[in-house]
Amino acid sequence: MKVARKELTEMARDKRVKFGAFVMPIFLVLMMVQLFGFIIGAAKGAVKSTVYFVGEQAELAKTFQTAGMTVKTVPTIDEGVKLIKAEQAKLVLAFKPPTADGQIQIEGYYDPKQQMAQIALSGIQQALAQQNKLLLVETLKSKSIPEAAAEHVKLIPKPVEVGQKGAGELIVGFLPYLIVLFAFSGGMSMASDLVAGEKDKNTLETLLISPVGRNQIVLGKVISLAVVCFLSSFSCVVGLVLASVLKLPGSEEMFKNGFGVTGVAAGTIILLQVPMVIMFASVLIAISTFARNPREAQTYLALVNFIVIMPAVFSQVIGLTDLGSKLWINAVPVLNSANNIRNALLGKTDWLAVSITFGVSAVLAAIAIWIAVYLFSREEVLIRI
Amino acid sequence: MVRTNGLKKHFKDPKIGLKKAVDGIDIEAKPGRIFGLLGANGAGKTTVLRMLSTVIKPTAGTATVDGLDVVQDAQKVRASIGFMSNSTALYGRLTPREIIRYFGALYDMDDTLLSQRIAYVIDKLQIQEFADRPCDKLSTGQKQRVSIARTILHDPPVLFFDEPTAGLDVVTSQTVMEFIEEARDQGKTVVFSTHIMSEVERMCDDVAVIHDGLIVATGTPETIREMTGERNLERAFLQLVKFQAGYVSSKAVNS
Repeated sequence: MKVARKELTEMARDKRVKFGAFVMPIFLVLMMVQLFGFIIGAAKGAVKSTVYFVGEQAELAKTFQTAGMTVKTVPTIDEGVKLIKAEQAKLVLAFKPPTADGQIQIEGYYDPKQQMAQIALSGIQQALAQQNKLLLVETLKSKSIPEAAAEHVKLIPKPVEVGQKGAGELIVGFLPYLIVLFAFSGGMSMASDLVAGEKDKNTLETLLISPVGRNQIVLGKVISLAVVCFLSSFSCVVGLVLASVLKLPGSEEMFKNGFGVTGVAAGTIILLQVPMVIMFASVLIAISTFARNPREAQTYLALVNFIVIMPAVFSQVIGLTDLGSKLWINAVPVLNSANNIRNALLGKTDWLAVSITFGVSAVLAAIAIWIAVYLFSREEVLIRI
Repeated sequence: MVRTNGLKKHFKDPKIGLKKAVDGIDIEAKPGRIFGLLGANGAGKTTVLRMLSTVIKPTAGTATVDGLDVVQDAQKVRASIGFMSNSTALYGRLTPREIIRYFGALYDMDDTLLSQRIAYVIDKLQIQEFADRPCDKLSTGQKQRVSIARTILHDPPVLFFDEPTAGLDVVTSQTVMEFIEEARDQGKTVVFSTHIMSEVERMCDDVAVIHDGLIVATGTPETIREMTGERNLERAFLQLVKFQAGYVSSKAVNS
């Protein structure tokens, strides 16, 4: 603990730790909340965007205006296409003469490479479907046919509450990823200093000559780094709370169902973070011990960072597969923690899965500590320069 | 007392094969005397001191420090030695007081004794003025005083100095040398490695000349001079390491 206390004192005075491990995750979460909020707002805006009609179509214009769109007119299709090419219009609607059976056909001109145009087209399709349905109902009514004939089979969605109340979809989408990511990268800046840096600055020899055992030195360094990794990872949650409290632009989209991180979810996250940060800290210390100097350590750490990022990224889209509910997924390092954090945020904590994940992470943490101690106990720790 | 018997350290170097850094040395350093380990760069001085301070293990041979075996009783050896070298650095973000306290804690000193010793070394080495300033902001001389304070904090009976004055200015070197002499006068066993002859002549009671991992001569500075027939210790040293005068210029002419 003496070594850990000293390392923590040093780290607390290091600007890289303050900014990289604590300020950065908070800043990143605040930025992501605003960014997601902006994107959702923009997508909604696209649905209610301006639509160009070729010629006057008073009745349909009314329909679209009711759906929240602004309707403008252009004299010809060519003029409309010009506007699309100049990126001044997303959607131009050209009305064809009615067919023999009375159907009004509309040509919708848009740039398929522009996502906002696709969203606008989808909005028009929804508005027309609504309009068609109203017309059909009116026709059926006029012929004394029951309204239900307009929709012979009707699907009525009935959401079933599984588990506890969970966080919003967007929070669930990116928070597990950030928690796992910063549990590793939050400690990266200091890891290279803790052993490789001590070799480089010639402070390691003095430490090795003290009566403290090498395993105690390693454990002290692992504990201090694990604390930083944990706090860095937890800073993401702090960032989220701040975004919710400060009501930043975009946060209303993220928190429209409330903050949603329950006490059980927070407890589960902490429970999963503990062995995970010990495992990460041990790996970081082992790499720092193996490296000759901080530069070499940084090179190795950057490579290992990818190994952590990949499963963390996959955890963002695991909801698109049914892998998240498979028991074996809890044996996959990093992904298991991210997946269980995701489930906890959804309010669907599976204690068997959490236990397996905790056990797997704890075993891997023990192995990583053993490797770090082994590397640190070798003579090469000092003379491999 | 520090004693070695046939002490060897061989390294496996992937480029040059087996490197015999130290190849069977016998030395004896006694309490109340300064033992000088005299050798050129790469002679094996630092390797000997690292084995004596238990950082690396000997390949063969034995060594005892204060009656303790460096392999069997490594932890006890470390508790009874102080080690300082010119390259020893300090933790830049900590203050001298914090560093001294940290090492005191590592040596398991109880709080009362530690506080007394911290007050003593800070006063003794005149550290008060900068005791609470981060070490990054200290001058080389100030850092060296903090290093000395850290070395003597636990009052060890044996002190190792690995070229402690290399790269220091005259004033700081003087402080270090005075401190080493004072440790000798307090009855401590001092092993001092250097390649600066004036320091050897001034301070060392006993000397071992080390060259290519082997001891080529031992004795007092006077006996070293006598055995080589040289009046000057530097010339005696050069003769012992078989330095060929004019080697550099003749090589330049031949090439």
